[in-house]
Amino acid sequence: MSRRHPFTLLALVAALTALAWILPAPAGGLGTAAAALALAAAAGPRRVLVPALVTAAPFWLFLLLLHDVPSTIAIGLRLTTMIASVVWVGALLPPGRLVEAMVAAGWGVTAAYLFAAALSAVPLLKARAQRIVDAQRCRGLSPRGGLGRRLRALRALALPLVLSVLHEVDERALALETRGFVPGARRTPLAPPRDGTGERAARWLLLVACGAALAWRIAWRG
Amino acid sequence: MARLTLERVSFWYPATERPALRDASLAVAPGEVVALVGNVGAGASTLLLVAADLAPRVVGGMIKGTVDFRGRGNGEGGRGIVLPTPWTQLSGMAFTVRDEVAFGPANLGWPRERIAGAVDRALDALGIGALAARDPATLSGGELQRVVIAGIVAMEPALVLLDEPTAELDPEGAGLVWRLVRALAGDGCSVVVATSDLNALPEVAHRIVWMEDGAVRRIGDPALLAENALCEAGLATTVADVWRTARLGAPYPLTVAQAEERWRQ
Amino acid sequence: MAAVSAELRFGQVSFSYGTVPALRDVSFALAPGERAALLGRNGAGKSTLLRLVTGLLHPAAGKVSVGDWDTRGRAPESLARRVGSVFQHADQQLFARSLRDDVAFGPRALGLAAAEVARRVDGALAALELSAHAAEHPYDLPPAFRKLAALAGAFALEPAVLVLDEPTAGLDRPLRARVARALSERAAAGVVVLVATHDLAFAAEVLERGLVLDRGRLAWDAPLAALLTSSERLTPLGLAPPVGAALSAALDLPGRPVRERDVAHTLARVAAARGRV
Repeated sequence: MSRRHPFTLLALVAALTALAWILPAPAGGLGTAAAALALAAAAGPRRVLVPALVTAAPFWLFLLLLHDVPSTIAIGLRLTTMIASVVWVGALLPPGRLVEAMVAAGWGVTAAYLFAAALSAVPLLKARAQRIVDAQRCRGLSPRGGLGRRLRALRALALPLVLSVLHEVDERALALETRGFVPGARRTPLAPPRDGTGERAARWLLLVACGAALAWRIAWRG
Repeated sequence: MARLTLERVSFWYPATERPALRDASLAVAPGEVVALVGNVGAGASTLLLVAADLAPRVVGGMIKGTVDFRGRGNGEGGRGIVLPTPWTQLSGMAFTVRDEVAFGPANLGWPRERIAGAVDRALDALGIGALAARDPATLSGGELQRVVIAGIVAMEPALVLLDEPTAELDPEGAGLVWRLVRALAGDGCSVVVATSDLNALPEVAHRIVWMEDGAVRRIGDPALLAENALCEAGLATTVADVWRTARLGAPYPLTVAQAEERWRQ
Repeated sequence: MAAVSAELRFGQVSFSYGTVPALRDVSFALAPGERAALLGRNGAGKSTLLRLVTGLLHPAAGKVSVGDWDTRGRAPESLARRVGSVFQHADQQLFARSLRDDVAFGPRALGLAAAEVARRVDGALAALELSAHAAEHPYDLPPAFRKLAALAGAFALEPAVLVLDEPTAGLDRPLRARVARALSERAAAGVVVLVATHDLAFAAEVLERGLVLDRGRLAWDAPLAALLTSSERLTPLGLAPPVGAALSAALDLPGRPVRERDVAHTLARVAAARGRV
């Protein structure tokens, strides 16, 4: 799956999410959630499926507190579809590949970079936070223990994290500028992802399926 | 004809009253290696940012005087700067060292074959061919430093600006960078380098610029690194410094080879 | 200056990142007051070894101990009572709005009383001549001063063992001399000083013992001077003699001094004896 064109992967996520909301509950949601979880499981039970389930779990809890059981199941399945498919695509699609695909498709360099930056910000922040926590622990701050201690550790982390990221953003801007990454640059795609006729057809098919489902749903309801 | 000319340039960072650069003038010829030496806060890094057209355009602040660059914008035939913090200079968009080095050339819109050739040459020049397939996020500081320098060199700039390029490197890596600087100059590229690796300079630099407190104090050939004034400022080569401390007569030798020659006379 | 004195000991320590071995069967011990240089190429395992001392990593095999503490059962925050460290990227080790608060971070985290915190902070700032900058924001200081600030933060822990990764990178000669002076004072007070560095001239000035890693193995553990005067030994390890040592070898100075001041003194003496300059 990871060899598929980035647009195909994104189309699949969009289609699953759309279908989850369009198709009647609970069977529709059950189908899409099963499909999304199957994709996640295929990509890696530990690396993708478990994080997806862990992310979805609290939503089920909130729904159960707010709604009756049938609505909880209906909405929960839809949310699970969304969460599992987004986690799946995040694990499968490196931002660099997406940027290459966008540049090859004629997008501007800056728009593509903003997109990639948003996608890659989370792991970067995580790595930076980890280094700060490491350094703080080496100076005696314990992040473990009771709630009060954890809160104190969190507060100690927030300021240096924000400051160092801001500082780094400044320097990165200089570096990107000097490496020719400026608005209007006509970038050569280095390894543009292959986009076969089959994949393009599959994306159209997904779109048509969503349209058909919507039409059927409106007609069936009406 | 000079490739880069600074005429009486002063520069203030945003929200500061004291200029970080004061009335600095300098001309750099094609194929010339100019070394900026000075203690912390002397203004060498600021001069490089101004020469790179990043200050004040990207950094902000205020400039007086004129900066004249005979070349094209960034990269090919233009300018390239290597900042002293390699970990902030990765593109964040490459998952292999090869793609990271290719990032700049790709932004220039070169055909793919030309990019491949330039990347291979740059990897080779920095001795990092073996790292080509590695993820840049897993590299050590020294390896990263070499990748960042390769990323600039691959763009074939006409003016290379280096800020402490050997700070993260082991002696082997530092030797490689200094050989690369000489090779770039041999190909007609101009290099301006701010460094505290003073002992490397007699073999590398054509001219030395001594900076102090934002101003250019003196400009001269490498023999400047053996003068009393620079010894006192902590900016002479080790050999010159030792010679002076031993109270052996001036002019002091700059390098071990010169000292040896003098000693055998 | 150190709350306790303790020996740093590595006993047959190995460590791997996944399947990539980083350290293999490394053993050595540093007594209180010993000053050692940790040398080797980029990627030889120096940073890994330092992280094992801080407790951020634990050995896969063998034992790292600081005095009577085995690091295995201890988190970094517990080892911080005995180990002070500065990593390569000092920017990520500054946590407060003023230099003073930043240096106080460690002593406060250890739960010391306010008066004791103040005493330690004053001492650490004074040791590195940073007192005049105490009220400034760390990010308003030039990178070289941020490096000193991180070092002051480690000093304020008053550790028995100091481990430093490239403390002189980006420092000019006057600032290097400051660091050298401060480290010598710590060692004189019984602190174990272990410094990973490429700056062999700095190592020659301050440190006495040389530990050289080569692809994860301890390839050399002996007096630094013996290593620095032998380019046959240095070259295969990816090192080159510092200029002072090279000069003393080239001029065949008696006793082959390596410290710059010693080289100068010997040079003066020999020149006087030869009766010419």
